[in-house]
Amino acid sequence: MVTKTEETQLNRLEGQVENGGGGAWDYLCFVRKLKVRRSDKVLKYGLSILNDPKKRSSLGPEEWTLYEQVAIAAMDCQCFDVAKDCINVLQKRFPESKRVGRLEGMLLEAKGSWTEAEKAYLSLLEDNPLDQVIHKRRVALAKAQGNMSGAIEFINKYLETFMADSDTWRELAEIYVSLQMYKQAAFCYEELILAQPTVPLYHLAYADVLYTLGGLENLQAAKKYYSSTIELTGGKNTRALFGICLCTSAIAQLTKGRNKEEKDSPDLQSLATAALEKDYKQRASDKVSVLGSALKSLKVSS
Amino acid sequence: MGLGFAIGAFGVLILAHAAYSTIQYRGLLKIMEEEFSGPPMNVVVELLVGLVLCMWAALTVPGKFLSIHPHSDENRIVSLPANMDFMVFNHRGKVFPSAMDLKLKH
Repeated sequence: MVTKTEETQLNRLEGQVENGGGGAWDYLCFVRKLKVRRSDKVLKYGLSILNDPKKRSSLGPEEWTLYEQVAIAAMDCQCFDVAKDCINVLQKRFPESKRVGRLEGMLLEAKGSWTEAEKAYLSLLEDNPLDQVIHKRRVALAKAQGNMSGAIEFINKYLETFMADSDTWRELAEIYVSLQMYKQAAFCYEELILAQPTVPLYHLAYADVLYTLGGLENLQAAKKYYSSTIELTGGKNTRALFGICLCTSAIAQLTKGRNKEEKDSPDLQSLATAALEKDYKQRASDKVSVLGSALKSLKVSS
Repeated sequence: MGLGFAIGAFGVLILAHAAYSTIQYRGLLKIMEEEFSGPPMNVVVELLVGLVLCMWAALTVPGKFLSIHPHSDENRIVSLPANMDFMVFNHRGKVFPSAMDLKLKH
């Protein structure tokens, strides 16, 4: 989970390293800790450290983690020979290692030889049938080949054994959304919210899925989850504020013909609108007129 | 940090001294056969001083307090991690040639 201070710190470190101010190793450690995907920069600065024997020896035992990080970044940037060299170095140091085996499987995957990668993963699974990481790589292999239903099947089987793995639930939800199977995606997001109720981004994603599904009950639930996102982020999430405005106008449109049960929600929409206008005035003051016209068109239809 | 510890220890000593004074005062009252209504004024002052010193030490010794608001900048989650376990290499970046001539040299 990347917090706001961590994000600003990461950007600052990145700017510092780009402008030649040193601190490449701190940047790489930070990227590894936050698990963000900055493969081109990791590759460039990681190689600059690894190619310099003095800096390499000053790392000590962390050198091997850096090799692994650079290998994965190289595969992401399609520099397969760099990846192969890194993996060879790691294999010389750690023969018979499962982590290195996984890296080799990933390299085969990146090169596009799907069957060989599958064979490699299956042989690794034979030795250790409960290895979570290899199971996830098999899912990624199926996803890369475009075999979404196969990926879903693998994930469901994996989740039967490892039900508490939030990352996998998130992946499953994203796959369902990409296939437009919104009811199943809603179920996955419900699991995520149950497991980690203080992460506002799950509430936001769930509200988005509910809003997409449509229908009066889903819209009302979506409004509740947008509100909980706003509460958890202290009103700093613009998307949730917009979500409230859209939900209110959609609900009003649906209930136009029926007798209006007076809800206490007209305050909510005006509050959200006011918060949005204040935010835009502060951060993008030239777009305030665009915002005003968009919100007015929402109100007209309600 | 050392100063905070010293002041905290001093505050605890003052409280202990106040307790000892109260016990002595009660002994004195027993001898004079009077009711024990409350500790004398100086003991109360001593207690307050000890309280202030101990509180100041307790707040300064632990160091920087972390924020507990879920929406403060330190705790506010801005983006989720990129789910590196499911990373796919079959993305549109394949068509961009890597302009850098990168090699692992050794």
